[in-house]
Amino acid sequence: MKLSRHTRIAAAVAGAASIALLASACSTGGGDEGSTGDEPVTLTVTTFGTFGYEDLYEEYMEENPNVTIEATNIDTGGNARTDAFTKIAAGSGLSDIVAIEEGWLGAIMDVSDTFVDLRDYGIEDRKGDWVDWKYEQATDADGRVIGYGTDIGPTGICYNGPAFAAAGLPTDREEVAALLEGDWEHYFEVGKQYVDTTGKAWFDQPGFVWNSIVNQMPEGYYTADGELNVEDNAELKANFDLLASAIGNGLSAQQAQWDWNGGKSFVDGTFATAVCPGWMLGVVQGSAEAGGADPSTGWDFADVFPGGPGNWGGAWLSIPETSEHKEEAAKLADWLTQPEQQVKQSAAAGNFPSTVEAQETLASEAKPNEFFNDAPTGAILAARAEGVVAQFKGADDSVIQENVFGPPLQALDRGEVDATIAWDQAIELLHELVG
Amino acid sequence: MTTTLRPPRTDEAQALPAPRADPDRPSLRQRLSRFDLKASPYLYVAPFFVLFALVGLFPLGYTLVVSMHEWDLLKGQGPFVGFDNFVEILGDAMFWNSIFNTVSIFLLSSIPQLTVAIICAYLLDQGLRAPTLWRMGVLLPFVVTPVAVALIFSSIFNEADGLANNLLNLIGIPDQEWKHDTFLSHFAIATMVNFRWTGYNALILLAAMQAVPRDLYESAAIDGAGSVRRFFSITIPSIRPTLIFVIITATIGGLQIFAEPRLFDVSTAGGIGGSDRQFQTTVLFMWELAFFRRDFGEAAAVAWLLFLLIVGFGIVNFLLSRRIATSDRPVTRRQRRALAKQGESR
Repeated sequence: MKLSRHTRIAAAVAGAASIALLASACSTGGGDEGSTGDEPVTLTVTTFGTFGYEDLYEEYMEENPNVTIEATNIDTGGNARTDAFTKIAAGSGLSDIVAIEEGWLGAIMDVSDTFVDLRDYGIEDRKGDWVDWKYEQATDADGRVIGYGTDIGPTGICYNGPAFAAAGLPTDREEVAALLEGDWEHYFEVGKQYVDTTGKAWFDQPGFVWNSIVNQMPEGYYTADGELNVEDNAELKANFDLLASAIGNGLSAQQAQWDWNGGKSFVDGTFATAVCPGWMLGVVQGSAEAGGADPSTGWDFADVFPGGPGNWGGAWLSIPETSEHKEEAAKLADWLTQPEQQVKQSAAAGNFPSTVEAQETLASEAKPNEFFNDAPTGAILAARAEGVVAQFKGADDSVIQENVFGPPLQALDRGEVDATIAWDQAIELLHELVG
Repeated sequence: MTTTLRPPRTDEAQALPAPRADPDRPSLRQRLSRFDLKASPYLYVAPFFVLFALVGLFPLGYTLVVSMHEWDLLKGQGPFVGFDNFVEILGDAMFWNSIFNTVSIFLLSSIPQLTVAIICAYLLDQGLRAPTLWRMGVLLPFVVTPVAVALIFSSIFNEADGLANNLLNLIGIPDQEWKHDTFLSHFAIATMVNFRWTGYNALILLAAMQAVPRDLYESAAIDGAGSVRRFFSITIPSIRPTLIFVIITATIGGLQIFAEPRLFDVSTAGGIGGSDRQFQTTVLFMWELAFFRRDFGEAAAVAWLLFLLIVGFGIVNFLLSRRIATSDRPVTRRQRRALAKQGESR
C-alpha cells in the first residue's frame, strides 16, 4: 500500500511535471511578442467575486474574431490571493490577465517585477482616466505601473426598509442618510435604539464593519511610509473599543462572513444594515437571492457612511511576465478598463468604476438598481467616492485583516471575551503571524 | 539458474592455458543472456524508482533545503538559517495545537471507522442476496470526491440552519456549535472521513474474510461455537495482517488530512481551521504558513516534521505488524486446538 500510495503521488506529480514541461516548452516556442497580426490567440483571464465581465468578454471576442477568452472566476478575493501567490511561487500557471485585489496588492508590490510594466503598453497616456490614487496605488517604488484599475470600493450603507419601518425609523433613503449622518458612535447609537426597539441585530457581523473603519483611516495597519503600526496605534485601539462596545450592546447578528446563513438572513430580518462597498452590492444581491430574496424584500442603499467617505477594496488587471501574449493581453485589459466598459461592468456587477468618466456617467445616468429598491446605486456610489483618500497597503494587510483581527472579533461577537482581552489576542496573533 | 551458468565458467578456467580455444569461451549471446538474467529484473522495476527519485526523493531533499533557509513564498530564497525554522516551529503553540487536532481527528475517525468496517465486512460475508449490489453500495461514498463530501457535510453541520442541528432540535436538543466547539468540530470532520472511508476498508476486510477457509467455521460450529465466538476466535485472527494494513493506511491518511478541515468552514479567518484554529490540522497549518503567511521556510520545516512523524508511526506499525504476522499461525492453531479441546470437554 505504501508503494501504491507513492505511485499515486508519483503519478500526480509526474502529471503536474509533464504539464509544466509542456507549458515551458510552449513558452519557449510559442511566444508571439511584438506580433500584431490576426493569428488566433487564446487569452486566459482570472477574476474573483462578482466581476461582471461575462458579457464584455463576448463583446470583445465578437469585435476581435482572432481572440478567444478563457475566463476563470474565483469565488472570493481570499481564494484568488492563494491562487495567485501559489502560481507566482511556482513561476508558472498565472493567466494572461490576473485580477489583483487591493488587500493583497501590498504583497504583490514586493514582487512587482513578476508583472509587466504597463508603461510599455501605453498606460501613461491613460493616466488621466483614473482617479489619481487608483493609478498611484498600482505604481511601484521604481515607477513601474503594474495594473489597469477596474473598480474602487466607496462605501455606503445597505439597509432593509421593512426592518427600519418596523422599528419606527424612516425608510426613505434620503431620510435614512440624514438619520445615519455622523460618526461611527452615532451609527452605533442609532443601532442601539433599533436593537432596544426590535430585539433584532443592527449589522450582520463585526468583521466587515471593522474593515470599513480601518480602511477609512488615513493610515491603517501600516503608516504611509510602510511601517507596521498596530500595537501602539491609539486611534486603531479606540476604534476597536468602540466596535467592541457596540457588539456588547447586541448590535451584531453574529453572521458567518460571506455566508449570511446561505443568504437567508437577508430575508428574515436578522439584521437591518450592512456596510456596502460598491462591489459588495453584487455580493449581497447574489447571496440574498440565493436565500430567497427578491426586490420586494426591501433592501436599499443609502448615500451615507459613518465617519465620512471610505474605500474598501477594488481591483486591478495585471499581466504577469510569464504571459505568452503580453501585447494581446494588454490590449484586452486596456479595453476592459476603458470608461465605456467600466460602465457596463458596473451595470452587471453593481460595483463602482475607477475611471473619472465612467463615474460621471454613472452619476448622471443615475440608473435605478432593481434589487436595491430602485436606488440609483451608481450615482450614490459616485457621491460616496468623493473625498476618498488612498491608504497605503502593506505586504501583510490582508493577513492582518483576516487572521489577526478576525479571530478576536469573532470571540468578541460570541461574547467570549471583553474588549481588552480581544485586543491583547489580536496583538498576540500579530506577533505570531506577522512578527 | 546459477547451475546452468556454472559449466561455462569451469570451462573457462580449464581453457585458460589455451586462451585461443574460442569455442569454449562464453559467446556474446551467452553473455547477453547472463546479463539479461541478472540485470533485467532491475531494469523492469527501474522506471518506478527513477520516477520516484525524480518526483519523490528530489522534492524531499529540496524541501529540506528550503526548510533551512528563510524563504518567502513570493520573494524566494533568503539567507541560510540552519535549523532555526525547526526550532521556531517546535516552540510554536499553533504547531502543537495542530498536532493535537490531527491526532484527535485521527482517533475519532479511525476507531469507529474500522469497527464499523469490520462489522460491515462480516455482514457482507454472510450469504446475502445480490452480493455485488451491496458490496458496490458500501463503496459508493468512496467515489465521491473529498471536496464534495466536505461541502455537503459543511452544510449539514451549518450552525444556523444545518440538517444536524434541525434533527437535534426535533428531539429537543438545542443547536450545537459544530464549527466552533473543538470536540464537535473534530467529530464533524471525523464523520466526513468515516463517510468516505468506511466502505473502502470494509471491502478490503471482506476480501480477507473470504480467504478464511470455510471448514474452519464448519468445524468450529460443529464444536459448538456461536457466531460471535466464531467471529472473534476465527475471523479476527485470520484477517489480522489485512487489519494491520488497513490500520497503517488509515494512519498515514489520517495524519495527512487536509481537504475536510480546509473546506469545513471556508469563510472564517480564510478557512485555516476555525476562528481559534479549533480544527486546524498539521497539513492545514503548513498550508497557512506557506500561503497565508508566505513563510515557505517554516512551512517546509513543518512538512519535514510531519514526514518524520509519519515515518515514526510507520515504524511502530511495522514492528507491530511483524510481530502479529509471525505470531499469526501459532495463534490460530492454538485457538483451533483450544476450540477442539473445548469440544472434547463438552
